[in-house]
Amino acid sequence: MPEPIGHQHPLTQMIDEINHIFADIGFTFAEGPEAETEHYNFDQLNVPKDHPSRDMQDTFWFKDTDVSEPTVLRTHTSPVQARWLEEYGAPCKIIVPGKVFRNETTDATHEAQFYQLEGLHIDQGIHLGHLKGTLEYFFSQFFSGKTEVRFRPSFFPFVEPGVEVDMRLLEGDSKLAGKWIEVMGAGMVHPNVLAAAGVDAEKYSGYAFGMGIDRLGVMKYGVEDVRDNYSGDLRFVNQF
Amino acid sequence: MNICYDWLKDYLHADLPDTGEVERLLTEHAFEIDGVAMVGDHAVIDVDVLPNRSSDCLCHRGIARELATILGTNLQYDPLAHTPSLTPTDQIKVTISDPAACPRFTASLVTGIEVKESPGWLQDRLAALGQRSINNVVDATNYVMFAIGQPLHAYDADLFPQVDGQWQFGVRYGTAGEIVEILPEGGGTEPRQITCEGTELLIVDQSSNTPIGLAGVKGGQFAAVHAGTTNIIIEAAHFHPTITRKTARRLGIVIDASKRFENECSRELPPYGQFEIIKLIKDIAGGEYVGTIDEYVERKANPEVEVRVRTTNALLGLNLSQAEITQMIARTGSTVVEREPGLLICTGPWERTDLLIEVDFIEEVGRLHGLSNIVSVVPEKGAQPAVNVRQYYSEQIRHTLLALGFSEVITSSFQKKDQIQLHNALASDKSYVRSTLAKNMHNVLDLNFTHTDLLGIRSVQAFEIGTVFQKIEGGVGEHLALAIGVRQKGNGYTPKDDAPLQVAIDAVQAALGVDVLFTIDKGVAEIDLSQVIAALPVPEAYDNMVTRTAATYAQVSAYPSVARDIALWVSNSPGEDLKHDVSHLLRAAASDLCVRIDLFDEFTKDGKTSYAFRLVFQSKEKTLTDTEVSAIMDRVNATAEDQGWEVR
Repeated sequence: MPEPIGHQHPLTQMIDEINHIFADIGFTFAEGPEAETEHYNFDQLNVPKDHPSRDMQDTFWFKDTDVSEPTVLRTHTSPVQARWLEEYGAPCKIIVPGKVFRNETTDATHEAQFYQLEGLHIDQGIHLGHLKGTLEYFFSQFFSGKTEVRFRPSFFPFVEPGVEVDMRLLEGDSKLAGKWIEVMGAGMVHPNVLAAAGVDAEKYSGYAFGMGIDRLGVMKYGVEDVRDNYSGDLRFVNQF
Repeated sequence: MNICYDWLKDYLHADLPDTGEVERLLTEHAFEIDGVAMVGDHAVIDVDVLPNRSSDCLCHRGIARELATILGTNLQYDPLAHTPSLTPTDQIKVTISDPAACPRFTASLVTGIEVKESPGWLQDRLAALGQRSINNVVDATNYVMFAIGQPLHAYDADLFPQVDGQWQFGVRYGTAGEIVEILPEGGGTEPRQITCEGTELLIVDQSSNTPIGLAGVKGGQFAAVHAGTTNIIIEAAHFHPTITRKTARRLGIVIDASKRFENECSRELPPYGQFEIIKLIKDIAGGEYVGTIDEYVERKANPEVEVRVRTTNALLGLNLSQAEITQMIARTGSTVVEREPGLLICTGPWERTDLLIEVDFIEEVGRLHGLSNIVSVVPEKGAQPAVNVRQYYSEQIRHTLLALGFSEVITSSFQKKDQIQLHNALASDKSYVRSTLAKNMHNVLDLNFTHTDLLGIRSVQAFEIGTVFQKIEGGVGEHLALAIGVRQKGNGYTPKDDAPLQVAIDAVQAALGVDVLFTIDKGVAEIDLSQVIAALPVPEAYDNMVTRTAATYAQVSAYPSVARDIALWVSNSPGEDLKHDVSHLLRAAASDLCVRIDLFDEFTKDGKTSYAFRLVFQSKEKTLTDTEVSAIMDRVNATAEDQGWEVR
């Protein structure tokens, strides 16, 4: 029998697609370390030590004896925001797709490792309407059909106002069509985060968003168990 | 937090909308609703109070106030509206060692009470929240906490030593090694002994310096209220959120009281708690209120915050007038004063400890005005951004290897044993982070070889691009790695695997235009990709996106698959259409249990063509037996023979 062509993992397929969609509207693909310092993972993002907001992300820590400063497996790709702003300053327009880790019990919708997509856009005059428009553009492209987005109040320490984002695919015969689906958290970058990165919050404003790429796979392909992404099982991968 | 719908009526009276509307208003303007359930006769709404509002909204009054804010009304009855008048007493003394750790401590004396069962209405309300009724005094402390958010604790005054005519409370840090006995948790009966590290804040009987509880976290057996108690002292205090949290986390105690202290309720709240509980105790336990000590050693008032109309609109993308913004901020109970046109001075109501900077107020305007009113700005197509080399070259490698029949896997970053162990692991077999990809790749080859028939492949060919971690001078280093694996035999590596592996390696080198030195071991090759990419040129732009067919995933069956072959002579001349027709017919005959059919051999001899197909059977419900599969194959053979094809 002929040797069939190989199959690309759905997560990297989606990351490639996400990158192309965002590159068209000027977003740069940024990256950062998976072993991240507490400083960038939490402190620079307005998540103080011993604050209840740290409970939102259960964290894997490296041993003190192995590291020169407190270090974690990054719980989100947001520390790249802080690193990028420190290095390049504002304005800034980046996406950060990457692997993140949470010390949580796993089930069909939770894995201790997963991929997150972070977005950050800082410039003069950026507001919540830009966030909404950008997300509607992205989802419409990604799900191949006109998609609308709505916001609900939420809280994440690194943004304010913070919003929960729901999306609804308006067209097509996909199972997703017509339903509001909670997809991500987002908001306007908190002035403390801007200040910590040396950005003048009086001059610049911006939005940030973060969503799980594994979850996008659940929506786009009907993956039922996100743990399959990391199983190394070609019965899974070869369906894509 | 569970909110009893009927309880909200105490504060909102007829202004309270029906449960559906309460759900909608809270969802759109404040908090997510996790569910609504009927508990007895009461609708109970599970409100997911956000962390920044856990200081004022983990109680019924808080949620009622939030609804009033959203509706643009005031509470019909507000227990926080007027500063309570409490009678001072010198029968209780409080000594606070660190005002920052305990800025306020109040204690009231009530004499001549009767401990008994709580009245039905009180038991009923606590039951709606899932709280067990204990006795009228303990229930009253819980009730007031769920009503206005102030945790309280009651002591039997007769079991609390009086020295010089005074009950003497102290608040100090524990000393390292000091033992504190606290009440049993979670239905247990034995008190728990806590050994202090020195960071815990303790409440002590100052006269003997005996610890009587972990401040804000858990009380002790000391002077516990019992059936015969007649005189009580009720404590309502404010403890530092971080100190409370650290102790609670360290000991694994998260209770309703500690949750509230952790979230920094207002320092103004304790006297309101006293006022409410004294009223309630008199009502349901009788007795006489003697007086209250209020040791308020460190005040903290809400700040005056400058809120600019221009900034508010600029962040929200709205065009609200100053009057509209003023009106919305005022609805939260904040005071708003115009300093100059476009500049408002705002101060949050005392119970809102979260309104500290301009953007806090802007957020209030946004959610009260309604986030649904935000208008989208369509992004503009712009110049292509700088290329991420890691992504660019990773994609090059992927496409190179895919074309050679290699599939991509992503495996776990956790290992049972490796170089770097995590401080807190999820499980004992996941306590290290990986230093190479090779180990996982060997597992991938082992795992998948058993599925080659089902996958329709002869050998397993896979690759992974992922981060690995290594110990380096002064810390943890990481790099992106590429691993490629080939397996042609089920029982493990054979030297024959090296040839296709070398083909893959050569192709990757050709695609990148550099020679790279892979580490090769038993059919798996690995390289530090970060290092390779660092030496490559930065491309100007990404390649066009590969057009992909839309895939819909189907859950993999947990049951094993069975493969059977069929070889047959077909008299017709060979061709793609014929192949397709034969395959199609056989598959149809093979039923839905045939999950794939692959042509694995064909040749032509004497004008006749021979095809050999492999059929793979698998059920989603059970393990297929040999008899079942044989019966299907009999049908397949019969179908072939009906067509005049000779089964070999």
